[in-house]
Amino acid sequence: MSELLRVENLSVEFGPKAKPIRVVDGVSFAVPAGGSVGIVGESGSGKSITSLSILRLVPEPPGRIVSGRILFEGKNLLDLPPSALPEFRGRDVAMIFQEPMSSLNPVMTIGDQIGEAIKLHQPLSATERHERVIELLRLVGMPDPASRLGAYPHQFSGGMRQRVMIAMAVACNPKLLIADEPTTALDVTIQAQVLELMKSVRRRLGTAVLLISHDLGIIAETCERVIVMYAGRVLEEGDVRSIFRSPAHPYTRGLLQSIPRLDDDRRRLFQIPGTVPAAGSAGQGCPFYARCPSRVEKCAAEMPPMFRYGDDQLAACWVTAERAGAPMVRAGAAA
Amino acid sequence: MSEMAETATAAPAELPPAEGSAFDVVRRVLFGRPATIFATALVALFILVAIFAPWIAPYDPLQQSALDINQDPSAAHWLGTDQFGRDIVSRLIYGSRNSMIFGLLSPTLSAIFGTALGVVAGYFGGWTDRILSRIIDMLLAFPELLLAILVAAVLGGGFWNVVFVITVAFVPGFARVARAATLAVKQEPYVEAATAVGVRTPTIIVRHVIPNIFPSVLVLLTLWTASAIRLEASLSFLGIGTQPPNPSWGNIIRDGLNNLFGSPWPIVGAGIAITVAVLAFNLIGDAVRDELDPELSE
Repeated sequence: MSELLRVENLSVEFGPKAKPIRVVDGVSFAVPAGGSVGIVGESGSGKSITSLSILRLVPEPPGRIVSGRILFEGKNLLDLPPSALPEFRGRDVAMIFQEPMSSLNPVMTIGDQIGEAIKLHQPLSATERHERVIELLRLVGMPDPASRLGAYPHQFSGGMRQRVMIAMAVACNPKLLIADEPTTALDVTIQAQVLELMKSVRRRLGTAVLLISHDLGIIAETCERVIVMYAGRVLEEGDVRSIFRSPAHPYTRGLLQSIPRLDDDRRRLFQIPGTVPAAGSAGQGCPFYARCPSRVEKCAAEMPPMFRYGDDQLAACWVTAERAGAPMVRAGAAA
Repeated sequence: MSEMAETATAAPAELPPAEGSAFDVVRRVLFGRPATIFATALVALFILVAIFAPWIAPYDPLQQSALDINQDPSAAHWLGTDQFGRDIVSRLIYGSRNSMIFGLLSPTLSAIFGTALGVVAGYFGGWTDRILSRIIDMLLAFPELLLAILVAAVLGGGFWNVVFVITVAFVPGFARVARAATLAVKQEPYVEAATAVGVRTPTIIVRHVIPNIFPSVLVLLTLWTASAIRLEASLSFLGIGTQPPNPSWGNIIRDGLNNLFGSPWPIVGAGIAITVAVLAFNLIGDAVRDELDPELSE
């Protein structure tokens, strides 16, 4: 599969230039064309900012992308002038947001909102556009789409609104669909429906998906690759099966253990002790040092580079690498 | 799955919040309570009188008659005549034209310019916001009447000057409200979502921001219609609004004041007209606010 998106050494800072807070720190990953990649991490791990950077939606000021490259089909998006951004947003890369309840304009009918997205990138006549909107609503499983065009967002439930959002996002057949916690605000049953819908849209349109979530279960179900982020850094990445079978980083292990299981008779749920360090407070060493069960002295002093495990798994941990004898990967050559 | 989707979609329709077609909303605002029904009737009456003044007025409001000065109310002159023998009812009827035009036109113009300023300041932020906000603050430092007098003193009287004066007096208020509302709307995820599908900034402002701040502007507009009527009357009373001999409620009082002992009826008539008109518009303004302000709609 050819490579659609490659993020290289991306760093994003917030706050005053003199005293910046680094929220995303040297993140690198790639998304193959038509592939599906998940980014998982706790709140504040920088996963949302990473995804917003791809669309150049990081609010500036106070935020700014300080280094790195975001290559989309070989072209660095960070070089695009602001005037070229609307052209590229929605056509090449589209995004679904977390809050379906407020991601639709309350005073516009959903037909108009989806139509607006089409109008921007596709030269269709009014009737063709109308047909296209109905077709999109049918694609996302809206019952009786023709009669719903004139409805306003408040007349829909959260799940239905998220379907409308997906219809808007895929209106112009983007090559990459970024979904930032698309199901967090929904009921579990609706979550499953929306995930199923995203999978079927991906199959039918061949759209690559970058899914941001804090829920490993959702990632496992939807994605082929997974990237584990913590405090603005990538700690582990690899294909979903190997990471779930043999997580290399202690943080990933902790995350996997924290998932409650039905067949488990533990009284208390497992938790990783401590909390995520405040953004920008990271020192020289591994950001997970303070909470790590298997830390050694070296971890506090030096940030571990990526080590390779098997064919397709990378993790940044001194301890497991030494134990497994994993070879070091040079920075920037990830995956 | 589709069955579940159906029930999920149907559920919100049963909620009874402030919804319905635009027509329902207008009907609820104007005829929701006895007081507003009364106010609506009065406003309709004033507007009709203003429109059909030439047909309703029994006399020419400018026609003087040396033989009929300072008459008391009679069958021929319902509110008597002034010191020049002009029919007071006719003058009040023609005067309502000025009040209605200024009351409706000026706040509308202020709303347009003020909203434009406020939205630009709020949406773009940064230096644009700082400069525009300081100008708005500066204008807000003056009370409306003082600001109006200031501009009127420079420009002089005349119809368009008065429209301009009242418009300028209300622009900062609208700009302030529009800016605050824009700051809130700008943070809404749907604005970010629109940006993410590639909508350009001007379109976002026109299609996503302005429709969503419109309720706040509309509330202000209806409440300030009454203020504009009052302001026009004040300016005319001070002699810098509508210029005599053209009648306006303000200068009818001004003329009457010089002739208080000749005939008190111009002052009584115009005073009641202003009071009733301002009260009626205020009642409607309150009704609009109650309808559109989510915090008060309980």
